[in-house]
Amino acid sequence: MKVIVVDDSSTMRRIIKNTLTRLGYTDIIEAEHGLDALTKLDGVQMIFTDWNMPEMDGLTFVKSVRSSDSYKSIPIIMVTTEAAKEDIVEAIQSGVNNYVVKPFTPDILKSKIEAVLNR
Amino acid sequence: MNVEYLNPFITSTVNALSTMACLAPNRGTPYLRGNGEKIECDISGTIGVAGEASGSVTVSFTESVARKIVENMLGIEVDSINDDVKDAVGEIANMIAGGAKGELSQKGYSFKIALPVVCIGKDHYTEYPKDIPCLVIPFSVEEGPFYVEICLKIDA
Repeated sequence: MKVIVVDDSSTMRRIIKNTLTRLGYTDIIEAEHGLDALTKLDGVQMIFTDWNMPEMDGLTFVKSVRSSDSYKSIPIIMVTTEAAKEDIVEAIQSGVNNYVVKPFTPDILKSKIEAVLNR
Repeated sequence: MNVEYLNPFITSTVNALSTMACLAPNRGTPYLRGNGEKIECDISGTIGVAGEASGSVTVSFTESVARKIVENMLGIEVDSINDDVKDAVGEIANMIAGGAKGELSQKGYSFKIALPVVCIGKDHYTEYPKDIPCLVIPFSVEEGPFYVEICLKIDA
């Protein structure tokens, strides 16, 4: 399964990639923000995206993906520091399938992925 | 600023460092920072805050503490304040502010947080507006001290 990790922090991209690799994902690409990611979605089967990013934030990126005929059905997991309840509601309403609040453990990320894949 | 605002930052700091860097910080006694007063640090990450709370949240590390955090977060060896350290300090600041935001929102305070700004330099300090109190929460780990500065004006 090809996945993309979208985060302006190289540290977080590396941590998420390391976690995904341990979970068996090997085809992992990266993007630094939403605008960058929109050019890299061909063949992608799952998206992990941050919220607060320069150029295009995660929420705008999610809305762009959901309004695209080609990519609208790709599962999206938002991985962000935005921990307020109203933020989580806004993200879900915008089309996010699941939500991980940073800091997170590998087990939390794994359970969120499984929940999305089992839907 | 009362303890109702302070505790979420303590919780989010400990949570960020224990979850992402396997560190168990000890907390000292918070104090009000004097004008121009410096704290011991080599690198800091600041998050701007706007809304019902406005101002900034800054986390400041000595080089040895910052290197240890990155080594634990990424499983790599670090011998200086390099790009990995700069990026990680910004992300830790982000987690502290974001975590506190989540808890404060449950108490009815709504605000937005900005992208992190990272500053580097021996014992650099930030000058804050005089009408906004700046609370310092000192922490320490085996490698040395670090500090979280909360400079917020909160609408009552």
